[in-house]
Amino acid sequence: MIGKRPVQNSVKAGKWLNTSCKMCLFTCNMRALVSDEGVVIKVEGNPTSAANGPHLCPKGNAAITRHYDPNRFKTPVKRSNPEKGPGVDPKWVPISWEEAYDIVARELKKTRDDDPRKLLPAIGNFHKGWLRLWPAVFGTKNVLSSISNYCGGGYHSMNGMIHSTFSVANDVNYCNYWLTNGSGDGFSSHMQVAAQAGVVADARVKRGMKVVCVEPRLSVAGAKAEEWIPIRPATDRLFALGLCHVLVNEKLYDTKFLKRDTNAPYLVGPDGYFVRNAEGEVYVWDTVEGKAKLWNDPSVKDCALEGSYEVQGVSCKPGFQLLRDILQDCTPERMAEITTVPAGTIGRVAREMAKAAQIGSTVEIDGRTLPLRPAAYIYYRGSQAHKYSTMANHAFKLVNMLLGNIDAPGGHVGATLDDKSVDRGHIKPGANGMIDVVTHPHGPPPPFSYPPNETNIAGYFPFGWIPGHLNHEVLSNPDKYNLDYRPDTVLICHANPLWNVTGNRETWYRILRGMRFIFAVDIIPNETNDFADVILPCHDFLESWNMLMNDAGHTEGVSLRQPLTGPLYDTRSEEEIFYELAERLGFLEQYNDALNHAFGFHMKPELLLDNRLKHTDREIARRKGLLWNGQDLDWYIERGHAVTPRRPDKWYRPWEGLRLRFYIEDFLRMRDELKARMEAANVPIRHEWGWECYQPLPLPLLDPVLQEPPEYDLYAISFKEVQINFGETLGNPWIDDIVYRDPVHTTILMNARTGVARGLGNGDIVQLDSPYGHIFGRISLSQGVHPETVAVSNSLSRIATQHKGVRPGGGNFNELLPADLRNTDACSSQLESVARVKITKLAMRASELPAGSVFATGRVH
Amino acid sequence: MATWAMVFDLRRCIGCNACTIACKQENNLPTGVFFTKTLTEEGGEYPDVKRVYVPTLCNHCESPPCEWVCPTGATYVRTDGIVMVDEDKCIGCGSCIVACPYDARTRVEREHIRAGLFMHGELTAFEQQGVSRFVPGTVAKCTFCHDRIDAGMQPACVVTCPTDARIFGDLDDSESGVRRLIRERGGRAPLAEKNTGPRVFYVD
Repeated sequence: MIGKRPVQNSVKAGKWLNTSCKMCLFTCNMRALVSDEGVVIKVEGNPTSAANGPHLCPKGNAAITRHYDPNRFKTPVKRSNPEKGPGVDPKWVPISWEEAYDIVARELKKTRDDDPRKLLPAIGNFHKGWLRLWPAVFGTKNVLSSISNYCGGGYHSMNGMIHSTFSVANDVNYCNYWLTNGSGDGFSSHMQVAAQAGVVADARVKRGMKVVCVEPRLSVAGAKAEEWIPIRPATDRLFALGLCHVLVNEKLYDTKFLKRDTNAPYLVGPDGYFVRNAEGEVYVWDTVEGKAKLWNDPSVKDCALEGSYEVQGVSCKPGFQLLRDILQDCTPERMAEITTVPAGTIGRVAREMAKAAQIGSTVEIDGRTLPLRPAAYIYYRGSQAHKYSTMANHAFKLVNMLLGNIDAPGGHVGATLDDKSVDRGHIKPGANGMIDVVTHPHGPPPPFSYPPNETNIAGYFPFGWIPGHLNHEVLSNPDKYNLDYRPDTVLICHANPLWNVTGNRETWYRILRGMRFIFAVDIIPNETNDFADVILPCHDFLESWNMLMNDAGHTEGVSLRQPLTGPLYDTRSEEEIFYELAERLGFLEQYNDALNHAFGFHMKPELLLDNRLKHTDREIARRKGLLWNGQDLDWYIERGHAVTPRRPDKWYRPWEGLRLRFYIEDFLRMRDELKARMEAANVPIRHEWGWECYQPLPLPLLDPVLQEPPEYDLYAISFKEVQINFGETLGNPWIDDIVYRDPVHTTILMNARTGVARGLGNGDIVQLDSPYGHIFGRISLSQGVHPETVAVSNSLSRIATQHKGVRPGGGNFNELLPADLRNTDACSSQLESVARVKITKLAMRASELPAGSVFATGRVH
Repeated sequence: MATWAMVFDLRRCIGCNACTIACKQENNLPTGVFFTKTLTEEGGEYPDVKRVYVPTLCNHCESPPCEWVCPTGATYVRTDGIVMVDEDKCIGCGSCIVACPYDARTRVEREHIRAGLFMHGELTAFEQQGVSRFVPGTVAKCTFCHDRIDAGMQPACVVTCPTDARIFGDLDDSESGVRRLIRERGGRAPLAEKNTGPRVFYVD
């Protein structure tokens, strides 16, 4: 009888231990109950955390069923089936660690002696980003996977360009008007959902913060918004330029901010560069005295934002005036034609935002008087992952800049990835009064080379962000790029490029089949490690040590991860595996030197790792904790974390006294330097390079996806929600039990009226054909989809693997996308994430779908 | 003695199902068994569409039809209002499942348990320690996390909810969070016309 003994896990005998979550790339603070028998029986949020508190998202709540997944790799294994393919059983044979290390080290030594560039690494472990130094020390800057390029190729580097940060968040502490465009922030994805969703809900419900959502699909954010504004996919930048048009033409902008805190008044010559004196100092136009003066001349009484001038014999205009000129072509009426958002709506949203931004108002925080700008534009993959991504991100930033809300209370605030030490700031002064920005906190892109050293030509994108998809392009056409070697080795570590990189699957299979040796450091089987020759199994996060500040929204500080149980199986930590291989390959010292640099241990030299030794995950975690705040592991074990709200001095306008980039001259310099290098090296593809992508201000150009042949008369978008947010969770039985019962994640969604007009009904099986590939699936008709759009959940894009909990869909959405130069932003390397498709009804019945298919079951709860 | 109740703030709920999975891990639920679910209601016509996420669980009714129809007295009500099932008395007849207007009850079958979460033919260490609470062929449902309540904790779903969309408290205490929310924002009972006296309320 219930009541005789406890049946619920939380009240059973055991010990609660502090740790942090790794079910996605963020780091929610967690506590876990380990029973007296040593079984992890409950995980919860850590109530003391300033980030997520007692909350966890559904993925975090499913940590236990990842830990105890019997599909985990339990010992090192080597394949006995030479045939490699999707769903093909590698017929793993268990081997000892010694044998596994012998094989891997032997094969890697061959590669390294031959040409270290022949190693293609795919290291997706966002919580141990320093592992990516291992291949760098090995001698390759190749990257097979796309890391965050798919979602944020242009986003992250543009955040760097404006705020010198990796990410950005609308400041929920004060925001009253939250315009969300293709972003799940605060609702369903990105920026630590279990933390952000809570504070955003508080702002919505307690303070009445208005949410307006611009998206082709009624997402979670759309569902919670006061207003959902459907938009044609891949036109978001044009919507933002329409907003800019209204803000500028109706003078609804923050003049003081633009003149004092940005380079908008800097005078730009006909070549697009600032007009400079012999010392390189930039001019502004003093409107009071009617003459040009240097930007830092104390006698400048008021500088012009508008007008046309002549300085040093050249005609010039302030950057702001150049935007004005561009915006002449961006009337709401014109943007309405492209976006399908009515002109009246564009005008209204711009005016509502300007009103909500309270331009001119201030607030006192910690003794500082700061501009209060409680209206902000947030965006992410849906709106920025397009060909003209750099311009898109810039357009979204410009809306925020016009409102004067950059890094202001209530506004659009840069969020650092990892401060390393509690007092370390991220702002440095640069030339001409502007901040000196870090656009790539993970390290700069590789330098230009020809023939290219990298199979993803990352060296051709000075503003780029790991273009994994271009491996597909270059390795399919190596002669076109004059690639003078052929990679033959792959390292996979917590990565699944066969799932998450765009392009044709058969091409990817062919590339992987052509490798001499593939090894994986991983936990569970997936599409890519099914192709490995050897698996080195690692601990899951409930068995690991770590210490990490990782891309949080409104909080800073490191979080502890500690083993809750001993390893369930014969697994090792990633640290141990890569140290062992570094030692066997003879670069242990260089690897330690690189790690010391990445961790920032040189800031406290007593923490430097002895470069002759191999160090444990525990010791590295300990030193990272000491670097943060001087506290040793026992302090962290007791508390679990050092997470506090972002301190106002680091969060709000940390660049006070410096200027931000409104007009991004840097892009012209990048363009011209790259052009010169390509010319000098006579790189053939320079003639098809997308030079138009390098613009100091965004233009209303149309992305190629908008110009595909008209027979592809629909747009296909993909999406995820919190249950399947960031990385593989399907196959976890608790996640499966939610996702595979939900029509949103088990069917292709189509606008109801469009479906009826085409004779399509619920449950019909259809094929989507893009110019590049096809997928199929069952459809559901919905009112919550733009009429020209079909929406495909990420859950439909899995392919048969050795993990039987993962249900295959009807092909991978990434098949529909072009992994080519034409659809890649030549500035940021962002890939296009929207496809143009035509839809055909198939004669197939549901019963004919592959057994175990995600479409085959239909019970809805 | 308190009378326990829950309020769902529909403005806060983002339909993420953190609650559903927190419940599964707290209560060792087999695949296909849910003590709480989140329903999705979509209304209107493009582009004026609204979607609402509606969490549901056992409403711990004041007049529970499941209790009336139970032939063996297996379903009973604790003094704090929590409707319970004594699986030693339950014969699995299913009358309560039919009688409950809220679809809140499930008969846990042997197959539910035997297959295991991973359908691997054996149970994980986690399942082995927990799933024995279920007697195959008997009925199970949400107990408002009675063990946690008895230990002074809030229900698992309430604690984990990222948006604090679930508020739990004492209906007898006029200053409790649940009473305040019902008062201030007009809490309504699900399917009030069934006159079951739910102790779960929704505010818009």
